[in-house]
Amino acid sequence: MKRLGKLTGKVALITGSSRGLGRAMSLAFAREGADLVLCARGETELKRVADEARELGANVITVVADIGVTRDVERLVVLALERFERVDVLVNNASELGPTPLPYLIDYPPHLFSDVVKVNLMGPFRLIWSLLGSMLQRGSGVIINVSSDVAVNGYPGWGAYSVSKAALDGLTRTWAAELEETGVKIFAIDPGDMNTAMHRAALPDDDPAQLGAPAEVAEVFVELAAGSIDPGAGRLEAPELLKQLRLPLHA
Amino acid sequence: MLREPPTRLPDNLRAAEPPEMRGERRDHVRLMVLDRQRRTISHTRFDRIGQHLQLGDRLVVNSSRTLPAALPAMRTDGSLVQLRLCVRRPGEWDVLAVDPYPPFANVSLQTAETLQIAPGLAARVLGRRPDIPLLWRLQVSHDGLGEVLQVGEPIRYSYVPKPVPLDYYQNVYAGRAGSAEMPSAGRPFSRELLTRLRGEGIGTTAILLHTGLSSFQDDVFDAEHHLFEEWFEIESEAADAVNSARRVVAVGTTVVRALESAVGAEGAVQPGHDWTRLRVAADTPIQAVGALITGLHEPAASHLDLLRAFVDEAMLMRAYDEAIERGYLWHEFGDSMLIT
Repeated sequence: MKRLGKLTGKVALITGSSRGLGRAMSLAFAREGADLVLCARGETELKRVADEARELGANVITVVADIGVTRDVERLVVLALERFERVDVLVNNASELGPTPLPYLIDYPPHLFSDVVKVNLMGPFRLIWSLLGSMLQRGSGVIINVSSDVAVNGYPGWGAYSVSKAALDGLTRTWAAELEETGVKIFAIDPGDMNTAMHRAALPDDDPAQLGAPAEVAEVFVELAAGSIDPGAGRLEAPELLKQLRLPLHA
Repeated sequence: MLREPPTRLPDNLRAAEPPEMRGERRDHVRLMVLDRQRRTISHTRFDRIGQHLQLGDRLVVNSSRTLPAALPAMRTDGSLVQLRLCVRRPGEWDVLAVDPYPPFANVSLQTAETLQIAPGLAARVLGRRPDIPLLWRLQVSHDGLGEVLQVGEPIRYSYVPKPVPLDYYQNVYAGRAGSAEMPSAGRPFSRELLTRLRGEGIGTTAILLHTGLSSFQDDVFDAEHHLFEEWFEIESEAADAVNSARRVVAVGTTVVRALESAVGAEGAVQPGHDWTRLRVAADTPIQAVGALITGLHEPAASHLDLLRAFVDEAMLMRAYDEAIERGYLWHEFGDSMLIT
């Protein structure tokens, strides 16, 4: 079945794709014609998302993997390249929130702090490190790192998550400078507050009606992946980009 | 009969760890340049290789990613054996079976015995491979790539005393996985160096050849230079780039094997994919490759045979003598050589 969409012919690897934004993105990418490498720690939910994406016409492989584990990252990359020969779009979406209710840093168990950094910082670094060589060899590729508002603002309780996302922003900044004129683009994007399981775990008292819908935010990722908007390097904010995307509709 | 180099390789010249673990950058290893026309040998650092290349030269690299191809397996009697992947076909692997600890001596398997490699991956021993009896033919239930990545370790020889993480066995341009051993001639290239060279008009093209084993862990057997097939792929853009290059600089002997295997009737490299059994030796006419970057390997290795297709005996012996005199490091984590 030939599907025509903004991502037809592209292969996208999305981490943390079984829930929330990752799931919404996977389905949005599938709808736009992409083939998918989906990965998460839990197999059941992952398979369910894969089936949904297949129903939309996508070729999909699933890899049960923990992005914080070196061997898993390498296996993910090898299986992706074996199946599709290349990855055009990498979305580092998998994130570890850490213990909930969110403890203050002084109450943070150190080994859990380092687990969060492993998944949110070392995981994306390793995944980019392993895939970038083949992207550079082809002279094209899009890498999107999912950041957060807590990367720039200090809120009590968000310790390890906040630090890891700030570092991920830094990683993106340096890498963007190193990738100028290579054809490979890298972004860090804050999706904004969304109604997801992670958000509910962090802030159970928030009113879901006030939160963004992952399916809407996913549209921004589609545009970035397709290269149809090029907001330039640096830190991006999804709600802002979404507003710009919607402008013609309101004009 | 060609003579082997007179000098035995001193143990301390076998690189025991990657340069990065010795506090060096990967592109700061030493480089010996053999200029065949001027018959000179000079010495420099790898990142200055551009001074010895020319505008319009095309680097051809092997983008095959290294597998952790040493697999622990449990035998029917409960003992452990290490399987070293050599040739992988759908449903069938040819492996070396060795002790799981140094010096990794060969182990005899039983025909029809079952080897448990990982949860969900078992292999049945079909017997020895007739043409290369140290290799065992295994029947595997599926391609097993995921399991290999789960349980395997990089193949390591005794001169590397401590395990080295798989990352260090990858080239910066590594793509699809399938090599039993690192195509290590390209190891000294950093992405920074490749980018700089491109700015100087020296581009890079990738082809693929999945390497097999470089040793059967048996000196007598190794000296007989047994030849096995290796899978290679050359895309049509790559063939075009190779055929239109002023000069092709092969990064590694695996690239020589792939390109020379693909030379068609008119002398041009044809795109395609196939198994190659080509033996490149002193009398092989080299048609596609104009220059070669290679590591230094054991004086007795068949590697030297291949180099004789490029360099005459006198110059080759001079180069290896100078390498030993100057303390060049050997093997996958060692120094490098450019033959122009």
